[in-house]
Amino acid sequence: MEHSPVTTNPLIIMMINMTVVFIVLIALMFLIKLIHIVDPTKEPEKPAQVQEEEPLVAVKSSSSPAPLPEPVEQGVSPEIIAAISAAITAYGFAGQVKAVRIINHEGTPWRAAAKFNNVPRK
Amino acid sequence: MEALNAFSVSLQAVWNDSGFSAFTMGNGIMILVGLVLLYMAFVKEFEPLLLGPIAFGCILANFPNTGFFGEEMNVMKAINYGITYEIFPPLIFLGIGAMTDFSPLLARPTTLLLGAAAQIGVFVALGGAMLVGFNVHEAAAIGIIGGADGPTSIYLSTKLAPHLLGAIAVAAYSYMSLVPMIQPPIMKLMTTQAEREIVMKELRQVTKFERVVFPIVSTIFISLLLPPIAALLGCLMLGNLFRESGVTDRLSDTAQNALINIVTIFLGTGTGMTMNAESFLKADTLLIIGLGLVAFMGGTAGGLLFGKIMCKVTGGEINPLIGSAGVSAVPMAARVSQLVGMKAKPGNYLLMHAMGPNVAGVIGTAVAAGTMLAMLK
Repeated sequence: MEHSPVTTNPLIIMMINMTVVFIVLIALMFLIKLIHIVDPTKEPEKPAQVQEEEPLVAVKSSSSPAPLPEPVEQGVSPEIIAAISAAITAYGFAGQVKAVRIINHEGTPWRAAAKFNNVPRK
Repeated sequence: MEALNAFSVSLQAVWNDSGFSAFTMGNGIMILVGLVLLYMAFVKEFEPLLLGPIAFGCILANFPNTGFFGEEMNVMKAINYGITYEIFPPLIFLGIGAMTDFSPLLARPTTLLLGAAAQIGVFVALGGAMLVGFNVHEAAAIGIIGGADGPTSIYLSTKLAPHLLGAIAVAAYSYMSLVPMIQPPIMKLMTTQAEREIVMKELRQVTKFERVVFPIVSTIFISLLLPPIAALLGCLMLGNLFRESGVTDRLSDTAQNALINIVTIFLGTGTGMTMNAESFLKADTLLIIGLGLVAFMGGTAGGLLFGKIMCKVTGGEINPLIGSAGVSAVPMAARVSQLVGMKAKPGNYLLMHAMGPNVAGVIGTAVAAGTMLAMLK
């Protein structure tokens, strides 16, 4: 049912509306926190990892040190770089590859999206 | 002789029934406006998906003698019913819900405050509109432009000031497309270099339980509190539930692709059809466009100001730039936060943090609309 407005004072309308918007969204904020608290599927928070204390007396082996593991190649292999460059060249964009980076998918998908979003486009 | 007479009468009848006989200067100007909007949409790519149909609808609405809004039912009249009876905006929200990931908001719920603060622009424009002579219903419909939410703007103006729908929709969608130009100067003006360089902590992982329960709980809570926006918010959350449930992929796919595309065509064309010369060529239209800009700038400034407050309160954990994303132009406003942040400090990825206030802004604008409807309708 339509009724005439309680007030037509712009300032009062602004104050009432802003207050209601804040109250509703603050209530929603607490509801989200409540959902998180009652979530039966959440992983228990891990206690902060305590670093192992170093022994007071360092035990040094008299024998020769263990051989170092073979270095693992980091980043993108030259073969993959060559393949990517060849494919891009085949599409007529020769000499335009400036860098090839692996998108790090650690963390949320949003992090990857943020990085991708920053790739300059023509 | 008889044949010549019949030929002459027929020709006269064709002329009398043609649009040329009733064509006015106003129609000509509005067709030009439609052509300019078409240019902006398709050449400049300013919100082409919506501005394109709006512009074409505007051109169609200014052909005389079409009978679009006469007694008999026709396709244009049917499309107009979708606007008049508020059918299209909730359906658009269904698709938006299916496309929205609420995880950044659920991971950091305090960003809801930024979504609320950015609504300041709505109420500043409301006050401004009343001061320049609009009545309270018209002022509320104009103010909602500051929410940067097209469907909500159309929804509210249909209910409160249907005669201003065309001008409000054009202003809302035009400014939404101009977010990357309007926001950065305000963001730079209101923040220091040190604030812009703040690197925010990685967000926590959100569980499926949270993502599924949130749309249900928020619909129950907000719809009970503000029934006038139950259709709008209910559809938003239903779409999101399709997405998050994991068992309704077909419905989610339909909502975020086929359905939203179809409804966008109808919503845009129907909105454009309201832009006839009699209702659009008024000084009020220029005022509405000016007030829309004030609303947008006010919303951006409000979000940034609250972002600065949150930055101080949390001891520098929040980058105030994410506050400007509280206006709900999703995801444009969040991307602008990211771009300005990246300029201040390369490698500072703010997108995921800005998405929290950005989706909070969608809810905030709907709540602002619901509050005004509850007060004024």
